[in-house]
Amino acid sequence: MPDFTDLTPLAPWREIRATEADRTALDPETGRTMLSQLCLIRAFEEKVLDLAGRGLVHGPAHSAIGQEGGAVGSALAMRPTDQVNGSHRAHHQFLAKALAYVAEAGIDPEAEFDGEIRDLSKKTLAEIMGLSQGFCRGRGGSMHLRWAEAGNLGTNAIVGGGVPMAAGAAWAHQQAGTGDVVYTYFGDGAVNIGSVLETMNLAAAWKLPICFFIENNRYAVSTHVSEATAEPRLSARGLAFGIPAFKVDGMDALSVLIASHEANRIMRAGEGPVVIEADLYRYFHQNGPLPGSAFGYRDKAEEAEWRARDPIEGLAGLLQTRQIIGEDAVAGLRARCAAMMEEIAGELTETVEGKTRVIPSLWPEESFRDAGLRGDLSEMDGARYEEEDSFSGALDANAKFIDAVANVMHRRMDTDERIVVLGEDVHRLKGGTNGATRGLSQDFPDRCLGTPIAENAFTGLAAGMAADGRVRPVIEFMYPDFMWVAADQVFNQIGKARHMFGGDSPMPLVLRTKVAMGTGYGSQHSMDPAGIFATAPGWRIVAPSTPFDYVGLMNSALRCDDPVLVIEHVDLYASKGAAPVDDLDYCIPLGKAKVVRPGNRLTILTYLAMVEKTRAVVEDLGVDAEIIDLRSLDRASLDWETIEASIRKTNNVLIVEQGARGTSYGGMLADELQRRVFDWLDQPVQRVTGGEASPSISKVLEAAACARPADIVQAIRAAMADQGRPLAAE
Amino acid sequence: MATELTLPALSAGMEDAVIAAWLVGPGDRVEKGQPLAEVETDKATMELEAEAPGRVGRLAVKAGTRADVGQVIAVLLAEGETLPAPAPEAAASAPAPAPASAPAAMAPAMGPAAEPDRPRASPLARRLATQAGLTLDGLSGSGPKGRIVRVDIERLIASAPKETTAEPAPEPTTATAPIPPGLGPYEARPVSQMRRTIARRLVEAKQTIPHFYLEAEADLEALLTLRTQVNDGREGAARISVNDFIVKAAARALARLPEANVIWRGDELWQLSTIDIAVAVATDGGLMTPILRGADRMSLGTLSAEMKDLAARARAGSLKPEEYQGGGFSVSNLGMYGVRSFSAIVNPPQSCILAAGAAERRPMGRGDQIVLAPVMSLTLSVDHRSVDGALGAQLLAEIRKGLEDPMSLLL
Repeated sequence: MPDFTDLTPLAPWREIRATEADRTALDPETGRTMLSQLCLIRAFEEKVLDLAGRGLVHGPAHSAIGQEGGAVGSALAMRPTDQVNGSHRAHHQFLAKALAYVAEAGIDPEAEFDGEIRDLSKKTLAEIMGLSQGFCRGRGGSMHLRWAEAGNLGTNAIVGGGVPMAAGAAWAHQQAGTGDVVYTYFGDGAVNIGSVLETMNLAAAWKLPICFFIENNRYAVSTHVSEATAEPRLSARGLAFGIPAFKVDGMDALSVLIASHEANRIMRAGEGPVVIEADLYRYFHQNGPLPGSAFGYRDKAEEAEWRARDPIEGLAGLLQTRQIIGEDAVAGLRARCAAMMEEIAGELTETVEGKTRVIPSLWPEESFRDAGLRGDLSEMDGARYEEEDSFSGALDANAKFIDAVANVMHRRMDTDERIVVLGEDVHRLKGGTNGATRGLSQDFPDRCLGTPIAENAFTGLAAGMAADGRVRPVIEFMYPDFMWVAADQVFNQIGKARHMFGGDSPMPLVLRTKVAMGTGYGSQHSMDPAGIFATAPGWRIVAPSTPFDYVGLMNSALRCDDPVLVIEHVDLYASKGAAPVDDLDYCIPLGKAKVVRPGNRLTILTYLAMVEKTRAVVEDLGVDAEIIDLRSLDRASLDWETIEASIRKTNNVLIVEQGARGTSYGGMLADELQRRVFDWLDQPVQRVTGGEASPSISKVLEAAACARPADIVQAIRAAMADQGRPLAAE
Repeated sequence: MATELTLPALSAGMEDAVIAAWLVGPGDRVEKGQPLAEVETDKATMELEAEAPGRVGRLAVKAGTRADVGQVIAVLLAEGETLPAPAPEAAASAPAPAPASAPAAMAPAMGPAAEPDRPRASPLARRLATQAGLTLDGLSGSGPKGRIVRVDIERLIASAPKETTAEPAPEPTTATAPIPPGLGPYEARPVSQMRRTIARRLVEAKQTIPHFYLEAEADLEALLTLRTQVNDGREGAARISVNDFIVKAAARALARLPEANVIWRGDELWQLSTIDIAVAVATDGGLMTPILRGADRMSLGTLSAEMKDLAARARAGSLKPEEYQGGGFSVSNLGMYGVRSFSAIVNPPQSCILAAGAAERRPMGRGDQIVLAPVMSLTLSVDHRSVDGALGAQLLAEIRKGLEDPMSLLL
């Protein structure tokens, strides 16, 4: 029989409950504001359900009726500069934070609501209805509410998807030393998803001032929490990561307020994150105006039991007992809230022939569809552009590519304190696994961050940093394939954020990664990510093929307010070429391709490591081909002027890329080409790609899976033969 | 009821034609057999006749524009009938269709109903061809599966006369032939349909047929003597020409070597069962090749009369398509211009063409003596795909033999 010794978690796990003394001590003004907020939010949500029931809310209406206590209790513990984000069910949190912001001095339950409260309610309702006067111009709707000024970072329709970004905002607060904190609200359903748990770990490791606020309403749609986990006391999650955790009755706004004050004390003291689990209940089903019992996953008795603990009734009772407000005044407050919402809804709708509809002029213009998907690049105004051919500064003709990578980042971090580098092992091994971050951790220890192996969390954290605006993060994926691990953050969050939140919120983030085909890392480390990023919205992509271009394109990427993927290649790291000796400050325009070699019979479009390989083949064959290094690859940045001029001259085009055919970049490019230059083509757009399967580890199989010079030779010969100008046989 | 008049195929393989002129207008009464329009095909201008009496409803194709076979070119109405309203979907691609209430208005040409054997061509080649006023029919290109590509159009343009056409000036492109520097004043003349067809067919022939050439000289002493005897008493038009003898000699040679009377079809070789000889005739519009069908079975006199009739109608532009299409062998004779010898281009899909020069008195060996004799140079151009050198040589020898032993041609 071995010895068993009980171990205890490092962090405390406590239930917090307001005592009678606390209830007696509740500041009357806080109590009155709390009641006003609860009633305003309740009336708002009831109106949303009313409109949804009449078909006036497009998409789901996730009501928070019954859950107001958690949001109001925590929001009233916050400062205006503290921040929140939430999930698909977040109207109440959004409103609570915003109400606390517009009515910092409190809300008198017995007076008329001021214009700001009315405007806030209207603008929020308009957004939920998808109207142009909404916070996100109708783009976001119910699930994507953002009002940065009030500390609302933006709510999220991916369960747990917003949690890493909240940690990024918390990092920005910590770095700025403001003492501000971030609350990230999510439900019991999100507790079991990776991005939440990864972020808890990362936030605890870095002691970030973030509160993981779990609204445990018992049901993930219809699945009960006890079905989803063996530890349904969800605050226990904090213990795994050394995070202090509190459990609180979410139906009691006062208890939540007290718990939040305790959480804020810990966070503001620099002791790291806190978990708060608020037990509460949504009276209705996941969405729409029917109760959950109507769908059979719970019974009416359970609903009645929770309704008996209604947060409004509870607080109103306390305030009446303490004679802080009268019964009539409470009734009057609720009537005024309902009347205001009725009025607001009336201003957004009209009744024609007995049917109520949205006033047509309030819809967004259809032309707004893609507006603001990326920024207008006005941040590039004043940039100094250089090209190697015309560069007047000193050049080292034999510079190593990898040194240009490290040097330009060092230079930018030296001149711009906002730049933060993060990724796996970027702070060790003399610059990460390839030396790309060499020297950064020594000179900028607080801005060169080695992360846990948690791509989803650190990518989302960087997204939160970028959205905050005080930080310009540079993240590294050791291998491009890791984008699938972080796919939610990369594609659902970063790529869509600006557009989804209305089209004008910057996302200045740089993602570096290296194509590693040829290194034997096999099926899960050997992709070229260009095709996937080019076909997903929002990203800009650059792929420098020379040290000189790397410096200029990285400088542009770091200056740009949009997310930019910078693709590197292991073959290029060891290559040598011309690099600036002392001028590391020039840019190369996003959206400018480079004619590497002029020619008349065939246009070859390529990028990254295939540029040099293609040039060698073309010169060896002596074929009259024009090679264009695309450099900028995304839809918005393709240099059509250069590409089209070349194809109009040669009438034949070949796209050369190294990677697998399925996820290839050339497919998207070929589609664009046939649309733009069809009448100038003398044959179909031809392509060189790798095989269909991802490259294998076996050296021979890997070589066969990636496009190589022999494939380029074959394709050029075919392209020349098919235009009636066959090359002489070998 | 209203009948739609579609453009019929007036000759084998005709895919389109230009409606050169309308001979009737909307509202006109027409009788069966009355000419409605002049239709210009590759080589001829023909009249399109009404098949039934009626009244012209509307004309669907403007005079001077091209129409495809099967395309509606006019609508004919029965007596007392009015023009039906046009179907709303009709001619969706046509700009601004004429209002239905204006029967005189010309509707723009509609697209082809179907495109059988549409030539494969790259988008660029199509555009360049359109700009250069070239049609791609019958052309086989240099690209995969015969796709016509830019280089084919460039070659076609380079081989065609350099004058610009009278049609709207094509946009300058890299493919149109530049104006040669130092060119003096010139007049640009439009290229006729016939000229274009000649150009296209000969470019194709010269580019795609692997020619080889065989030369021989024929001593015409006996032939000229015989001709004098035969023509004795014949007047003008009835006289037998040297050319008649040459055609006859070719027909006889082909009858003896039928394996040379073949057509190259890529996957197949077609052995022709009749001996039809095409004879090149210069006309004002360009080269025509009327056919002497069954030339081997004709007497020299019949052959001569037939030839004169065909040549006269070729010059008048009134040959029917069946009179100039086909043939298994061609004869081209430039002797009347004093040409000593020349090499002709094979007339596809035929395999051989005989080029005859002038009969001139030259020194030649006869026995052990050098004598002055009337000698004619013969050059046989042969498609090596279908006829090998030895066969070509035998054929030329047979022709020569016929010419040098002209009595054999009278049998």
